[in-house]
Amino acid sequence: MTRVGRGRTASNALRSALLALLALVLAAPLAAAGSLDRAAMERHFPAPLVVGERDATLPVWPILKQEAGSYEVFAYAFESIDLAPIPGFGGTPPDLLIALAPDGTFRDVKVIAHHEPVFLEGLGSEPLFAFVEQYVGLSARQPIRVGRPNARGSGAAPQTTVDGISMATASTRVINESILAASLAVARAKLGFGAANLGLRVEARPETGDAPTVTELAARGWLRRLTVTHGRAEAAFRDAGVTVAGDGPAEAPLVELTFAYLNVPAIGRTLLGPERFAALTRELGPGDHAVLVVSHGPENPLGDEFVLGSIPDRLTVTQGGLAVNARDMAIERRGAAPGLPDGPWTILRIAGAAGFDPSAPWTLSAKIVRERGQIFPERIAREFSADYALPAALFIREAAEAGPSWTDPWRARAIELGVIALALAGLLPVLAHQRGLVADRRRFPLFRLAYLAFTLLFVGWYAQAQLSIVTLVGLVRAATVTHDLTFLLYDPPSLLLWAFVIATLVVWGRGTFCGWLCPFGALQEFFAFLAKPLRIRPRTVPPRLDRALRQVKYVLLAGILGAAALGSPLADSLSEAEPFKTAITLYFVRAWPFVAYALGLLVLNLFVYKGFCRYLCPLGASLAVLGRLRLLDWIPRRAECGSPCQLCKVRCRYGAIRPSGRVDYPECFQCMDCVTIIHDPGQCVPEVVARRRGKRIVPQPVAAE
Amino acid sequence: MPMPQHPSRRRFLLGMAGLAGLAGLGGPAAFRALAAARGLASRTRAGLAFGTTVALTAAGPDPAALDAGLSEGFAALRTVEAAASLFRADSALSRLNRDGWLDAPPADLTTMLGFALDLADRTDGAFDPTVQPLWPVWAEAAARGDKPDPNRLREAVARVGWRRVALGPERIVLESGTALTLNALIQGHAADRVMAALRGRGITDAFVDTGEFGAMGAHPDGTPWQLGIADPRRPEAMAAVIAPFSGFAATSGDYGTSFSPDRADHHIFDPTTGRSPRGLASVTVTAGTGLLADGLSTACMVLGPEKGGRLVAQWPGCSVRFLGKA
Repeated sequence: MTRVGRGRTASNALRSALLALLALVLAAPLAAAGSLDRAAMERHFPAPLVVGERDATLPVWPILKQEAGSYEVFAYAFESIDLAPIPGFGGTPPDLLIALAPDGTFRDVKVIAHHEPVFLEGLGSEPLFAFVEQYVGLSARQPIRVGRPNARGSGAAPQTTVDGISMATASTRVINESILAASLAVARAKLGFGAANLGLRVEARPETGDAPTVTELAARGWLRRLTVTHGRAEAAFRDAGVTVAGDGPAEAPLVELTFAYLNVPAIGRTLLGPERFAALTRELGPGDHAVLVVSHGPENPLGDEFVLGSIPDRLTVTQGGLAVNARDMAIERRGAAPGLPDGPWTILRIAGAAGFDPSAPWTLSAKIVRERGQIFPERIAREFSADYALPAALFIREAAEAGPSWTDPWRARAIELGVIALALAGLLPVLAHQRGLVADRRRFPLFRLAYLAFTLLFVGWYAQAQLSIVTLVGLVRAATVTHDLTFLLYDPPSLLLWAFVIATLVVWGRGTFCGWLCPFGALQEFFAFLAKPLRIRPRTVPPRLDRALRQVKYVLLAGILGAAALGSPLADSLSEAEPFKTAITLYFVRAWPFVAYALGLLVLNLFVYKGFCRYLCPLGASLAVLGRLRLLDWIPRRAECGSPCQLCKVRCRYGAIRPSGRVDYPECFQCMDCVTIIHDPGQCVPEVVARRRGKRIVPQPVAAE
Repeated sequence: MPMPQHPSRRRFLLGMAGLAGLAGLGGPAAFRALAAARGLASRTRAGLAFGTTVALTAAGPDPAALDAGLSEGFAALRTVEAAASLFRADSALSRLNRDGWLDAPPADLTTMLGFALDLADRTDGAFDPTVQPLWPVWAEAAARGDKPDPNRLREAVARVGWRRVALGPERIVLESGTALTLNALIQGHAADRVMAALRGRGITDAFVDTGEFGAMGAHPDGTPWQLGIADPRRPEAMAAVIAPFSGFAATSGDYGTSFSPDRADHHIFDPTTGRSPRGLASVTVTAGTGLLADGLSTACMVLGPEKGGRLVAQWPGCSVRFLGKA
């Protein structure tokens, strides 16, 4: 085969690859745009729920249910993209349908659309659907964090943590942010809570030196009574045609409850005694609240079959019209609270996460239930309540803990960040000090291999910090559409690498990233070792074809960034020219065309060394363009380089040295081979010649033309 | 300004559909069957307005006309909200309160304010749309679990007075420190506007719940509309039933927003004291317009049964029911 023929083979392979790429682009689904309409909402919230008229000021649909001749709000339904369009990892915001109950709990969260690269075609959307389902039942009143996979199973607070998805850390955090930010926007407008009292903690002041008696507590209204007389109960059930069985005069109590908020020492210590109070304080978690209810009427709303530790179904604590989850603490009454009436009791725990504010008024309600009819008895319930309020002076209010959640990934990945930072710091002196390790013909290749292994295994596969054109697409979208750069903060290792790459870009050019820190580049370099045992000889691409092919990556880059600037989803599809997601992010676990493409590039690499990097890589193209800012012509040259000596040019596996001896920096991968040569008196031809002549010459950097 | 709150969970007038509803038989399916037998379709659309749930029901032979009528009914609600809802910071009334003046006020606002000032005149200020400065004083105190500071309350009362409002067709001007609320009228007026929108579409049978109520014609099953009046202390219980119900009805009571556990302090203020009127738990007025029913019910809360009864008697065709505090 002639050289030209070989060149054609290479270009044919490339053409096939580009055709495959085009097929992928055409097959990629276009992004769903626009919002859900009434019909779509009715599909999501079918009868007996009623989709109300869309809100006049916010893109929110009230979902109602009918209750005794009037409607009640079941949930507020909205799309996150309308309220909190937080760009995802691909630069496009995900769209989630969220249904928020009036008490701030999530009734439903569904994925309407997303462009998260890791889920599209990669993991598939199923893990994402399962991820958002975790929100159902949680409350938007508390900050929710994305934990590690199986965080809940390993002890993270189930009310404030959702399990993350490995390989999709950044995407899941963006989705979490979208859900919370959109929900808080609705909560602020509709539910009277929002960022301001999110995570608000109100705790009883520890000691005030106040020691009132039980009678004084009652007089202050700090110990209250809920009394339902026979007469009141009869009247309540009269319209239902039910008689309240039980004897006694109309003014005699049927249900009688004495209740109090226990956390305030003046109340808790007086009612329980110092020891019991101390024990209770120890048992309550930080931020938890305890409410004591003693039942001393003939009818006990706790019920005879009340299960210790359960949530009493006939007692409710409500605040601001919202029921607060209050669970029995299973504390035995025996001998406790001698100053209180005899009778069954419960101490209810209100979890700190419930958003309960003991410094604001609240209500205790007791339900009386009667049955009507005999064959199919119907349960009729009537509710009776009493209000409770304590002076604000008894409490310390603590605003929500500051620190937006983008700091979480930085904290959680501190170790990874530290390792990467050390590795980067270690690389600098090696590359800068050319007469050091670089000049060592035996040890330097070992260092390089070790470093590339670190790049592939740790930076790439473990820390998931493969830089990608997707980030640039996100930047363009941020500049043109979303004006929001925060998505960068959710992926700390990548951001750290970007900072390092931009800095070295200015000093040395694209080579520092492409030759040292690109995990796919490292993978290609290792893969290339297979060429020899497989008896594959690298083909030399003829210079003219080589120059033409080098331009392909710039065309691709322009296409991707142009599409992104125009807001076209084509940018996502074109970005698939990068095999990084397939090979690094998803470990080749992906739909077969993607895997075939990535493997194809690795095979191509056996024939045309790093063909992808040199001809196709849009990220490399962008770095090459930015690399024109490079300050140093740092590769030493001699007058003899190019004329007559061609050693470095021939040895350069990237074709980055011209026959004239000039270095083509935008194509240089900083492998340091030519630097090693020039500093090696046994290799550098001019030096070998000079030594033979008994002279010593010093290599000089030659200014670039 | 009233704080945004989630729609009230307790309703004290309960719309009821026909005899079937009263007897507790059937359910919506039974209504539909009866209605279908008479060749009538019915449509209900629900939503949120004025900080509560609203529902509009219309019946007639032409479903398309019903849908169009209900859409226009909701458009009318939004127009009224844009004019005078204090739940919306951008409403004309909110802007008037903020700036102290408003040019080219919307018709809904001038209608309600004109009626409010007239009623204030007739009741010698027992009904007064300028009680708004009292709200923040009570709401902030309630948030602290406390009663208002008497000095602050006195200072707020000094800013109340319906003569401090100059209403002209082109411009409304408030004296410094004055702020208006039309929450006592807006739901009733909205019922009027919705009913007019439905009539404009040729709809003759409708039941409107805007927080206050209006009805015309009959239920599609042929039975008259009915309205239940709940007992304010026992929301599930029915204190009375108005049947047949047509025209408009409004209820004022101490239950909507209470500032104290015993409901002695609530969202209706006696303009002279700055405190809530004692004695009544709720008042229900039926009248020929929602605006009138709504205004009279609030005035009667302040005036009490005797004076209130005399006030309502000035309008023929109106009736009033008082429920005392338990």
